[in-house]
Amino acid sequence: MHETRPAKITSPIVDLGGAHLKLMPIALIVGAIGVGLTYALYAFDLQRFSHIYLVNFAFVLTMCIGCLFFVTISHLTRAGWNVTVRRIAELYAQCLPVLFILFLPILIPLLFSNDGLYVWNQAGWSIDGASTTVIAELNEADAKLPPLEELKKAYLNKTFFAIRWVVYFCIWGGMATFFLRTSLKQDQTGDKKLTSRMQAFSAPAMIAFAASVVFSSMDLLMSLEPLWFSTMFPVYFFAGSVLSALALITLTCLYLQRTGRITDEVTVEHYHDMGKLMFGFVVFWGYIAFSQFLLIWYANIPEETFWYEYRMSLTDGWGVLSIILLVGHLFIPFLFMMGRTMRRNKNLLLIAVIYLLVMHWIDLYWLVMPQYDRAYAHAIEPDGMIQFGVRTLLCDAACTVGVLGLFAGIFFLIVGDKPLVTLQDPRLGEALNHEVH
Amino acid sequence: MANETNNSSDKELVGLLAQFDDPTSLLAACNNAREAGYTKMDAYTPFPVHGIDPALGIKRSFLPFIVLAVALGAVVLGLGMQFYTNGGGIGDWSTDEAAIFPGYRFMISGKPYFSLPANIPVTFEVIVLSSAFATFFGMWIINRLPRLSNPLHRVSRFKRVTNDKFFLMLEAKDDKFDASDSEAHLNQWGAVAIEEVNQDLTDTKLPSWMAPAALIGALLLLIPPVAIFSVYGSTNRKPRLHVVPDMDWQHKFKTQVLSPNIAEKDDPVYLFENRRAMRQPVEGSVRFGSLEDDSEMFRGIKKEFSGQAATVGLKSNVLASTAVQEEENPDQWITGFPEGFKVNEDTLARGKQRFEIYCSVCHGYAGNGDGLVNQRAIALAANGKASWTAAKSLHDPTVTDSVKNPTGRIYDTITNGRNTMGPYRDQIPVEDRWAIVAYVKALQATGITAPGAEATESEAEEAGEPEADESAEPAAETTEPEAEASEADDADTE
Repeated sequence: MHETRPAKITSPIVDLGGAHLKLMPIALIVGAIGVGLTYALYAFDLQRFSHIYLVNFAFVLTMCIGCLFFVTISHLTRAGWNVTVRRIAELYAQCLPVLFILFLPILIPLLFSNDGLYVWNQAGWSIDGASTTVIAELNEADAKLPPLEELKKAYLNKTFFAIRWVVYFCIWGGMATFFLRTSLKQDQTGDKKLTSRMQAFSAPAMIAFAASVVFSSMDLLMSLEPLWFSTMFPVYFFAGSVLSALALITLTCLYLQRTGRITDEVTVEHYHDMGKLMFGFVVFWGYIAFSQFLLIWYANIPEETFWYEYRMSLTDGWGVLSIILLVGHLFIPFLFMMGRTMRRNKNLLLIAVIYLLVMHWIDLYWLVMPQYDRAYAHAIEPDGMIQFGVRTLLCDAACTVGVLGLFAGIFFLIVGDKPLVTLQDPRLGEALNHEVH
Repeated sequence: MANETNNSSDKELVGLLAQFDDPTSLLAACNNAREAGYTKMDAYTPFPVHGIDPALGIKRSFLPFIVLAVALGAVVLGLGMQFYTNGGGIGDWSTDEAAIFPGYRFMISGKPYFSLPANIPVTFEVIVLSSAFATFFGMWIINRLPRLSNPLHRVSRFKRVTNDKFFLMLEAKDDKFDASDSEAHLNQWGAVAIEEVNQDLTDTKLPSWMAPAALIGALLLLIPPVAIFSVYGSTNRKPRLHVVPDMDWQHKFKTQVLSPNIAEKDDPVYLFENRRAMRQPVEGSVRFGSLEDDSEMFRGIKKEFSGQAATVGLKSNVLASTAVQEEENPDQWITGFPEGFKVNEDTLARGKQRFEIYCSVCHGYAGNGDGLVNQRAIALAANGKASWTAAKSLHDPTVTDSVKNPTGRIYDTITNGRNTMGPYRDQIPVEDRWAIVAYVKALQATGITAPGAEATESEAEEAGEPEADESAEPAAETTEPEAEASEADDADTE
């Protein structure tokens, strides 16, 4: 029997209740040790460290970007059902400006040396390996054009790169701060006009968000292989971002409810809808990944295919990872998350979201690490390919724990004693009475 | 409520319809009815009411599983369809023998006949389409649709179900149903009004106008096909109707044509600088399936010598024959038949047929070198009207010697010509050339020589051999007999 619930918060605990004061230092210390340990274990090899660090930084960044999208699209569509989970997304989005600190280990070596993560930053950078002939032909075809490297340097240079990243973080930080502040103000006053303000802000913000995600994804990950280009890549990045953000929000809700917080506000109906969204984005990810692959595969142009060829070759190992991704990131979650029962069962959902986050991490690893192989590992060892061993795995695990620790520390810093659920949102009643058909 | 109607013969009680004024009381009644043990009942509301499914005790539909099964079937169907139509073989996709299913074998963008990435979009669409159909028609079947009438529509009170009233119907088919008991129950559960729903059995007859109307309709439907059929055999001087002009007049050039002046000005501009409207193949490109890398099959040369004279097949006739003669290594020829060719009754019969079309005109049906062209040319030569090198007898020791003239060399002779014999590379396909070789070997094995052939042969040898060594005998002088030969060819082929 269904009864209408009043539009007010009934959970006994709706904030961290001081737990962040204990948790934050632990997380930050673990994080600093983890990252430092990785750097030391890789014998201060900046290239190797930077690449694994980039995987983890991108992991954290995509989740926060996805959360920012979740908040913005909620206002843009005047969503009522997700008001009770929106605050968690707002809090994660607010981590974005602080994440700029975590971006510094990538940016500083780039700015102050001709080394660092990106090949295009190196002094004698030229297009290498498989693509040399293509470039030679391209240049020959139009002798008036300067070499491709020169053309690309107009965009891919350290100054412009740094400026762009400041702009991205300003856009993200501005949006996140606006949404969280306005929402917190509404907690105090209950002013319905604030909802209208956020809604009006969300439309132009979404345009700025889209542009920043497109260019930041190209800068952060696609430019690792400066010759390669795919207009589908930003969408791929975005699909992974939203999927991981939905998983992170669900995971946080599940965790908070297990510790007795916001127990009444997030119901099985919300989990069901989050599950549906995750299912949708699993399919969307697969659709985009395949769209990107199919066009490149069919056109069969060397300057595009080499990127996939390196990742598909079963002989040097990355092909196995590609298959793991295809099966693990698409087929398994597709079948697992299709059913209604699974989405309404908190234990199964917990397994699913952790699994999806692991898969998203592997997805980023698959994007980044083969580039390390191409650009650096071949130079060190003739037969290329990162040698996977206990040491590598330990180092990479340490880096992941480290970055996640730092991220958790930042999150606790942001959360503080803020309420974990919106207190006086005008659509709170709708959310509390939300029911899935 | 009038229970008497239940007894009348032309009506059948379907159930009891109870009206409620708000969703809460309807939900309560549904719960009560379920708890009272009713199983066959349904609720009607102006909008979806939360919690009505569990209140009515409705189990979740098994429609999703129907759709899942159909979708999985569609995967097989979609992939299988493409596999079949593209003639997808398993294994080496470059040869037709590999085809398990002989489909159309369109080579698209140089991709394998069956390539999964290319087939996924189509398979995906087939899944979507069949899932949509499965959902739609599955829903119909589960709901027992289409239904032309529903007795509920005869209850005037029921019309407000799309507006502001809520209804619960207990069906008469339910074991628990009893007209008076159920009515009491419904009253007890707070029904505002209760009505009997009756099926009017007189309605089962068709209205009298319907049969003639259907007949007329069917006749009217025949008009379009009859009209089309009547035009089908007629002639018309009017120009054809162009429904899609873009497809009838395409902006394209056909192959092998000159490009017109596309500038439409005095200063001409052509599509390509050499005035062609098509690109020539890139130098060194090989047509699909024409790589001919099996030197035994295509050149009669052993694999270990395949590096020699590698471009013979690409050179012009004259160049090819000279090149082969210059570079010929007596050990290079294969002595048997290549792996890809089987000597059996069929291939021998084929060889005989081809031999009689292409070779017998000069070499004679028995291979004695007494073909009609040969006889005529010698007659003309005797009158000083032609210069002719007599065709060789295939029973000549230099030809039958399997050491000096192994099968590979005979094949090469047919392919590239030898001495004054021209190349037949362009007229006779590879398999047929080997069939002819097999037939020639069979002819030689018989050892039959025509009476009087010895004489002509020895004369021919004396005359022919020195000339052959020069090997640059101008072709012009042999034109006449060759023309006759080709006429003979045509006649034979027909």
